[in-house]
Amino acid sequence: MSPSFLLVLVPLLPLVAAIVTVLAGRRLGSRAHLPAVAGIAAAAAVAFVLLVITARSSGGGEQPRPVDMVTTLWQWATVSDAYAPPADSPAAVPGTAVGVDAHAARPFSIAVALRLDPLTATMLMIITGVGLLVAIYSIGYMHDDPGYPRFFALVAMFVFSMSMLVAASNFLLVYVFWEAVGACSYLLIGFWFQKPEAARAAKKAFLVNRVGDFGLAIGVFLLWLTYGTLDFHDTLSPDGTILPGILGQTRLADVSGYVGGAVGTAICLLLLLAACGKSAQLPLHVWLPDAMEGPTPASALIHAATMVTAGIYLIARSAPLYMACPGALVTVSIVGTTTALVAALIGTVQNDLKRVLAYSTISQLGYMFASLGTGTLLGFTAAIFHLLTHAFFKALLFLGAGSVMHSMGGVIDMRRFGGLRKLMPITAATFLIGSLALAGVAPFAGFFSKDEILASLHQKGWPSAHGEHGEHHAFMPTLPDAATAGPTLHDVGYRGVADHGEHTLHTAEPVGLDALDSPGVWQTLFWMALVTAGLTAFYTFRAVFMTFTGPLRVPDEAGHHAHESPQVMTLPLIILAVPATLAGLVLFTTEGLSSFLAATPSFTAPAVAATAAPAVFHWDLALQGTLAAALGIVIAAVGHLGRRSDGPQLERWLGPVRPFLENRMFIDQLYTAVVIKPVEAVAYLAAMFDRSIIDRLVQGVARLPVSVGNLVRRLQSGLVQRYALAGVVGVLAIIVLLAWRL
Amino acid sequence: MTPTALFAAAPLPLLQNGLMVGAILFSLGLVGILTRRNLIVMFLSAELMLQGISVSLVAWSRYHGDFGGQVLVIFVLSVAACEAAVALVFVLQAFTRTGRLDSAAWQSLREASLARSVDHEIPAIDAPLPVFPRLTPAGVSPETDADAALQREHV
Repeated sequence: MSPSFLLVLVPLLPLVAAIVTVLAGRRLGSRAHLPAVAGIAAAAAVAFVLLVITARSSGGGEQPRPVDMVTTLWQWATVSDAYAPPADSPAAVPGTAVGVDAHAARPFSIAVALRLDPLTATMLMIITGVGLLVAIYSIGYMHDDPGYPRFFALVAMFVFSMSMLVAASNFLLVYVFWEAVGACSYLLIGFWFQKPEAARAAKKAFLVNRVGDFGLAIGVFLLWLTYGTLDFHDTLSPDGTILPGILGQTRLADVSGYVGGAVGTAICLLLLLAACGKSAQLPLHVWLPDAMEGPTPASALIHAATMVTAGIYLIARSAPLYMACPGALVTVSIVGTTTALVAALIGTVQNDLKRVLAYSTISQLGYMFASLGTGTLLGFTAAIFHLLTHAFFKALLFLGAGSVMHSMGGVIDMRRFGGLRKLMPITAATFLIGSLALAGVAPFAGFFSKDEILASLHQKGWPSAHGEHGEHHAFMPTLPDAATAGPTLHDVGYRGVADHGEHTLHTAEPVGLDALDSPGVWQTLFWMALVTAGLTAFYTFRAVFMTFTGPLRVPDEAGHHAHESPQVMTLPLIILAVPATLAGLVLFTTEGLSSFLAATPSFTAPAVAATAAPAVFHWDLALQGTLAAALGIVIAAVGHLGRRSDGPQLERWLGPVRPFLENRMFIDQLYTAVVIKPVEAVAYLAAMFDRSIIDRLVQGVARLPVSVGNLVRRLQSGLVQRYALAGVVGVLAIIVLLAWRL
Repeated sequence: MTPTALFAAAPLPLLQNGLMVGAILFSLGLVGILTRRNLIVMFLSAELMLQGISVSLVAWSRYHGDFGGQVLVIFVLSVAACEAAVALVFVLQAFTRTGRLDSAAWQSLREASLARSVDHEIPAIDAPLPVFPRLTPAGVSPETDADAALQREHV
């Protein structure tokens, strides 16, 4: 079977499973999980085969060969001469339009095309793998729920949408499935829609995401205006010339292929806004903690392991675009690091186990953004590396929290239970492994990926300490060797501005943001990230100690449930614990992931590839990270190890800062005051106008015929004589009239 | 234009008399239909109006010396016969439904918000019924046929 057929199978199988579950769910009853589990399992197997195929064809080695297989399923929309750019559009200004004849009309064509490259293969494996374990776990967790078939239909639908999102080879398709995963997320957060909090959380998540989606939409428009195409890959036009796609080999090989300056920065910032919405970064992070109202398996799958990484994926995929805009890159890092620190601070005082994990997710996603923003190959691969390990250990932690919640009868407040390690040994052990990985303790998975992120930040902050590679600025890439660079835009007969030799792209006016790209800023970001590492260890182990150590306490709601979860739930925990322990060590020592990912077309752009540095294990950074983690764990142990979980809180010494953190830094209140209240006021005014003026007018119009009708309805008396009289009077009137006129 | 006269045209006074009789019959019928509530009487009044028209038609026919009017009257009579059959069936059915011949019994087709029309004053008959003189029976009583009597009761 060809790779393209297999690639289509990955999204197709969950889609079929979802449709079958929707159609036959009620009839299947308690076996409604079968189609979803089978479909996702098959998709996971296919994704593994694809991973192997991709790894074989990239071949590894010093110069990674770009691997990029595109399968075009069908043409969705084709409009020839869709748009002739006006003279003052960015596309018509020499030096900003790339790959487009400034004055030629452009065809608008959107193909439903899937791509297979290392990044996609990695993402597909994470999505289907975690999706499968979560689906199996849900068999136990969701049993007896009245919405059992609905849950599995939604999970399968989500796996389909997410696979399409990472496999799509077109920005418009990415947008479509970006919305589709958002819709699945909305439906799963509001799964128990009878609960007002769940319905409200679902609505909040949807609306906050809409802000980000708005950014993505505008960003896609701007991409179209600037590049004249939305395809990632190169396409062959009917007259035989190659139309360079935005992330196609042709454009990637050309050093002047990407737009910098104000336009490029605007595109990058809009994509960043989209990523902030989906990946819950400041200032759009507020929806994720509330999203914990959904079923725990959904939280593990969507709001920890997969959907929230869509933003990371989008930025990593668009890496060459960002490389032309250093200001946008450093903004990504600043947003990420700030989010990481803020979320970690808020996480330290949360008492709801799932909320601790939610803030931890936001914080870890912030790490990934910080790493992406460095704009080095190390940074990009480190972000995906952390994405991978995080998917494993965070899914493990969430499923563990779900196991605790399941046996505590739905109670998730850590102050109400404690000492559960004797009651549920498997959950406790696997949760501890996940926590060690999250805290970044060697040799667990999180240690290595976090270390790489810190290293990438350190490299930007202290370039001289990392050898010659720090000397290059991101927006001044070295010219690639002509022999290895492949064809340039000139070679493929491409017509347009490039023909006039006006390679003025990178002389585009630097924007104000670029000034942020200084070592001082990067050093600050590094220290913030290091502090976050310590805080992460602290809140993680605070949760572990409060939940699993100390005297055994079980809330009344637990009832007969207070025991270890069934095997169908503990098995995924045990399976996930293996990669949470080993993935980092294996992938780091073999450099398997980073060399594999380096063959992704986006990362083979000269600007990215030029930053490739030999992988070095930085003992000093590892030591700093471990020390920070150890400090956090020690403080947590002092405060919570072996204590009653409802005892005096260690955090009480925070003083006035504590209520500030417990109220999540009043960000929600700020939004309520700044956004929600004014909108509600306007809505109230509009409603008043509608009710008192528009409705009155309409009702007035309706009342006129009624009143006239009331006048004449008395004639309808039901007495035959009256009607006869009316007839006589009428005839007399006619006679009189005729007589008068004649 | 006047059609060919088949018989001698009558003088004007005959027309006037005929029209006057017709008008009187019509007016009596009209008053009857507007004032009486008994369904049969109302029907009779309607017939009376019809016959008033017929009389005036005949009068005009005589005046013009033309058979057209009289032909129409014959036609009207035959239609009236059919109509009487149908109308009496309706009256009979109405009676079996309500047990009354009062047309006001059928006022439920009025507008829903209107009150039912009720007779507040029933004309009282104060005067004692006149005592009519009775004839002394004479002769023999006829032989009664039991079967015939039985049948008659069913008619």
